[in-house]
Amino acid sequence: MGLIDWAREATLSVMRHPGRALMTAVGTVLGAVAFVATLGISSTISQQVSSSFDIRRATEVVVSPQSKGLDIRWQDAESLTRLRGLNGVVDAGSRISLGEQPIARGLGAPTSPFAVFGVDPGALAAIEPRLTVGRSFDAFHESRGANVVLLSQPVADSLGITRVGAAVFIHDRAFTVMGIFYDVGRRQDSLTGALMPASTAEILLESYRQGAEEDANREVLIRTSPGAAQLIGSQAATALHPESPQDLRVVAPPDPRQLRREVEGNVALSTVLLSIVALAVGAVTIANAAAASVTTRVAEIGLRRALGARPSHIFAQLVGETTVLGTIGGAVGVLIGVATVATVSIVNRWSPVLDMRAAMIAVAASAATGLVAGLWPAARAIRIQPVSALQR
Amino acid sequence: MLELTGVSRTYDDGHPVHALRPTNLHIAPNDYVTITGPSGSGKSTLLNILGLLDAPSNGSYRINDVEMTGLRETTRGAARGQLFGFVFQAFHLLSGRTVVENVELGMLYGPQTRRERRRRAEEVLERVGLSHRATADPRTLSGGERQRVAIARAVAYRPRVLFCDEPTGNLDSANTTTVLELLRELHTEGQAVIVVTHEANVAAQGARRLRVDDGVVSEE
Repeated sequence: MGLIDWAREATLSVMRHPGRALMTAVGTVLGAVAFVATLGISSTISQQVSSSFDIRRATEVVVSPQSKGLDIRWQDAESLTRLRGLNGVVDAGSRISLGEQPIARGLGAPTSPFAVFGVDPGALAAIEPRLTVGRSFDAFHESRGANVVLLSQPVADSLGITRVGAAVFIHDRAFTVMGIFYDVGRRQDSLTGALMPASTAEILLESYRQGAEEDANREVLIRTSPGAAQLIGSQAATALHPESPQDLRVVAPPDPRQLRREVEGNVALSTVLLSIVALAVGAVTIANAAAASVTTRVAEIGLRRALGARPSHIFAQLVGETTVLGTIGGAVGVLIGVATVATVSIVNRWSPVLDMRAAMIAVAASAATGLVAGLWPAARAIRIQPVSALQR
Repeated sequence: MLELTGVSRTYDDGHPVHALRPTNLHIAPNDYVTITGPSGSGKSTLLNILGLLDAPSNGSYRINDVEMTGLRETTRGAARGQLFGFVFQAFHLLSGRTVVENVELGMLYGPQTRRERRRRAEEVLERVGLSHRATADPRTLSGGERQRVAIARAVAYRPRVLFCDEPTGNLDSANTTTVLELLRELHTEGQAVIVVTHEANVAAQGARRLRVDDGVVSEE
């Protein structure tokens, strides 16, 4: 009796009752579904996360001084020119954060505190504000220290400003609203404040500071080309402040590939645990059903023995049947799992990411579960004597 | 060919039951033997021992001068598969398989290749007059046809001896006649046949008629 005969006998016996076989194999079906679907969905989502991540956040690098006392020459024009020379820098410039400042609709009108940022043209290009009305200020305004602002939508709404050209007052100084923006590409904290030219911000800071210690936060903001953030992150401090780069702190986004691996690693562990539990349930179900079938198939087993089957043939037959059951369960589970991943992806307009190795592992693990589950019923079956067939 | 010398079988379930008293019996290669007796007389025990389905408690059983008592079940199983064919009252055809596949099952554990098995199965179905039902589901056959399939399965691998345990027990008289004719033809072709029955007309077919009463075997 060859391997093909063995596989054929096992399959024929299992397929005698296909519905019952599927019910018996439901545990391995669930195990395979859990394995393939959760792994597939997690890969799909993490792929999705990192692809949207790449476009925006992963191209943002921020450099700030380790302590406030650092000489501001690290962000002067010469330093920024060196920085812009790095391969992978798209835009770079200085941003000064004045913190919350009182802004009023008219002179003497009630004020509300909003975050105010001074940005030079390079930083403004890196922030990429998206305007609903008006336009951005530029190098001309920067060179003149012009009193112009861009208001974020929440600030404009709060002050009741809907059009450009309106005046707002900050520390009793009048500013012309050049535009209103609803979104930014980088530096999300800008979304709740006002932007003005960096030179204007320096003047404003000087006017209300009046000799007190400076509490503004200075930083250099860099927009990198996709995938270059890690590299720029490692080079920016040296480019800006070659004398002692350790005085600068560089915040670059985590490597998206690393992030993806971590996310997938966590999901993979819980998936494997979940699948093992489901397969264990599957093994018990199959073992139970196979043991019950041995009781109802005493005559058939006796007949096979009478026809010359050795106990090892009977053992192989029973184990073969449960292995086939496990394999069928695994294959059905993989199909359902793949369909689940595909459906979730289609509904969310994602690109499904499926690892064929996961599918093969699921089928192999289900087959192994079936094999293990068959050992005990098979050991019972070989004790059936051929004379049993004659008595029935 | 088959030689029982002083063979007995005792079942010991607390108090011993002598299913077969010490028996001497010789069966020749071309015998047609029928064994009759009331229920529980020991005729099935005799058949089981002859067919290597059960081992005697005492005595010697030789097949072609080879001693079979004391052999391991694996060896007895191999000998059973090579030398004997079995036909049961309940047919024991497997559902979900065609008639020809059921016949092939008789050779599954032998040395034949799949192609040889199919060829032999088709030949033997032709022999029992059922080649037109080769691809049918056994459940669609009449009782007589099912028993002929079972006989085909039993003789497919050309056994030395065909053992039949109440082969007509589930059949009406017309089907009984067909099956008995088939057994007689097989015997004529050189097949040794041993039939256990409690039906007088079946017993009358045998060239040799044995009777078992309370475990004692006698020749009629």
